[in-house]
Amino acid sequence: MDILVCVKQVPDDFVEVHLDPATQAPATAEIERVANAFDTYAVELAVRYCEANGGTVTAACIGPETAKNALKNLIAVGVNKAYLFNAEDLAAGDDGAKAGYLAQVVKTCEEKSGVHFGLVLCGKESTDEIRGQVGAMLAEKMGLPFVSSVIEVAPNGDGLIAKQETEDGIATYETASPAVYTIAKPGYDPRYPSIKSKMAARKAEIPVLTAADAGLSAVESVVTCTSYTEPPKREAGLLIQEKVAADAVAKAMAVMKQDNAL
Amino acid sequence: MKVLAYIEVKEGKAINGSLEILTPAAALGEATAVMVGTGLDEAAAQVAAYGVPVTLVETEAASCDELTAALQAQIAAVDPDVVLMSGTQTAKDLAPRLAARLNTGCVTDATVVEVVDGAVAYTRPAFGGTVLEHLTMGSARPQFATLRSGSYSKPEQGAAAAVTKTSVEIPSDAIRAKLVEVTKDISEAVNLEGADVIVTAGRGMGSAEELHLVNELAELLGAEIGATRPVIEEGWMSRAHQVGQSGKIVAPKLYIACGVSGAMQHISGAMGSKYIVAISKDESAPIFEYANVGIVGDVKVILPLLIEEIRKLK
Repeated sequence: MDILVCVKQVPDDFVEVHLDPATQAPATAEIERVANAFDTYAVELAVRYCEANGGTVTAACIGPETAKNALKNLIAVGVNKAYLFNAEDLAAGDDGAKAGYLAQVVKTCEEKSGVHFGLVLCGKESTDEIRGQVGAMLAEKMGLPFVSSVIEVAPNGDGLIAKQETEDGIATYETASPAVYTIAKPGYDPRYPSIKSKMAARKAEIPVLTAADAGLSAVESVVTCTSYTEPPKREAGLLIQEKVAADAVAKAMAVMKQDNAL
Repeated sequence: MKVLAYIEVKEGKAINGSLEILTPAAALGEATAVMVGTGLDEAAAQVAAYGVPVTLVETEAASCDELTAALQAQIAAVDPDVVLMSGTQTAKDLAPRLAARLNTGCVTDATVVEVVDGAVAYTRPAFGGTVLEHLTMGSARPQFATLRSGSYSKPEQGAAAAVTKTSVEIPSDAIRAKLVEVTKDISEAVNLEGADVIVTAGRGMGSAEELHLVNELAELLGAEIGATRPVIEEGWMSRAHQVGQSGKIVAPKLYIACGVSGAMQHISGAMGSKYIVAISKDESAPIFEYANVGIVGDVKVILPLLIEEIRKLK
């Protein structure tokens, strides 16, 4: 089966994002871009599926030219082909618009590579805005079966079987193929590239397509952001540092009692 | 403005998060509630006691596809301006799917829903909670939003409203993902969202063996036990305990973080706590910037002393 994984670059989520005082927008320009963690889980799951059952993995990214290297890194960990849709304005829309563009991107990738994807994967959420709805919207726009928070996929006749991580266990779903799944953290970590695979990936050709190249038609956004603010800071509390632990605990107890915290 | 609140049920009772959304629903305008499932008479009465009329769709709907179809039918019947859901795993699938299906928009994880200048305005945290987005969906109808639990208090109970029963026929072609099996591998009931006190273990606890200190303190305070992601990934506790961006968003009166350094992804899930006590060896741990009281020290030394002192109060 041929699998398409939708991937996105995000600002490194170990760096705290604050508002730019001048523009009052999130100041992310200086933060290193990394592959969204859940997308890397989706890639690993797809590569493992194809290693076990045959098939190819294609990655598609809507993003700036700089995302090309990130796609090469995915080729180094088992992705066969990657497409970059270089169209910043596409990335600016709301999640419904992004899903609308991705639905077209899936078709474009099929036309360019001459395959029909049996499965389209997205990370269950991105670590920047953490809205977690593009995958579900994409499934609706494409009219395909949908399962979220999947951690395991297996073939099931002509269709697929997907295990979904739930709050207290696992829900197993059967769907036809093609389908759209979003991926949570499976019980394994994404592989690291080897030096050899890294070298080979460096030479990989990543087609870069503009919206016009790909013939993407505009999708309207519904949700618009009117402004950004930062949440009120919590007032700095009391930090207790004592040589003798019992003194520290006594001090803390006194403050907690005074504040009626206990 | 017509507002439809989707109420989820767990073990025969409406979940707290769902009851909380009745507050913004009523504040926005004319609120009604919808529940889907069978054997929900008692839960429906529980919701109606808050003065919000309930439509009980008595249709067996275990899977996401069935729920989506049932809600789509109810939305067509009610024609609401706004549809609110508590931000559960289920709702986070339902709301965007329905929004895409009806060609409208959806805001997930909202913490505030209010009317500003005649339009509904949504506030939601982004980037792990350091930034708040203020969003609008203009004149699009219906507008969908999932709310973070703990963002609102449950409303006061008023004169009980009516419960109306209905049912919908779910066309078989609506079920594209067939639910074949549900297994529960986590049997413990962990109610982090409704807890008044939470004692949370971080990686600084050192090992699973040391968790007895956290358990002891939690038992003493009648607290639920939370954990950070590293603790879950180490396998010291089941993921039902996870607090943070990829776990539960909590808002207890008292939050005691034991050996937690305070990664943003964790803090964003606990920031709504009224009072935070943090114990960490590392004096520059970010958690201290959010703590009302911070103790720099080894949790394994501090906790036994703290337990002893608190025991004296009880």
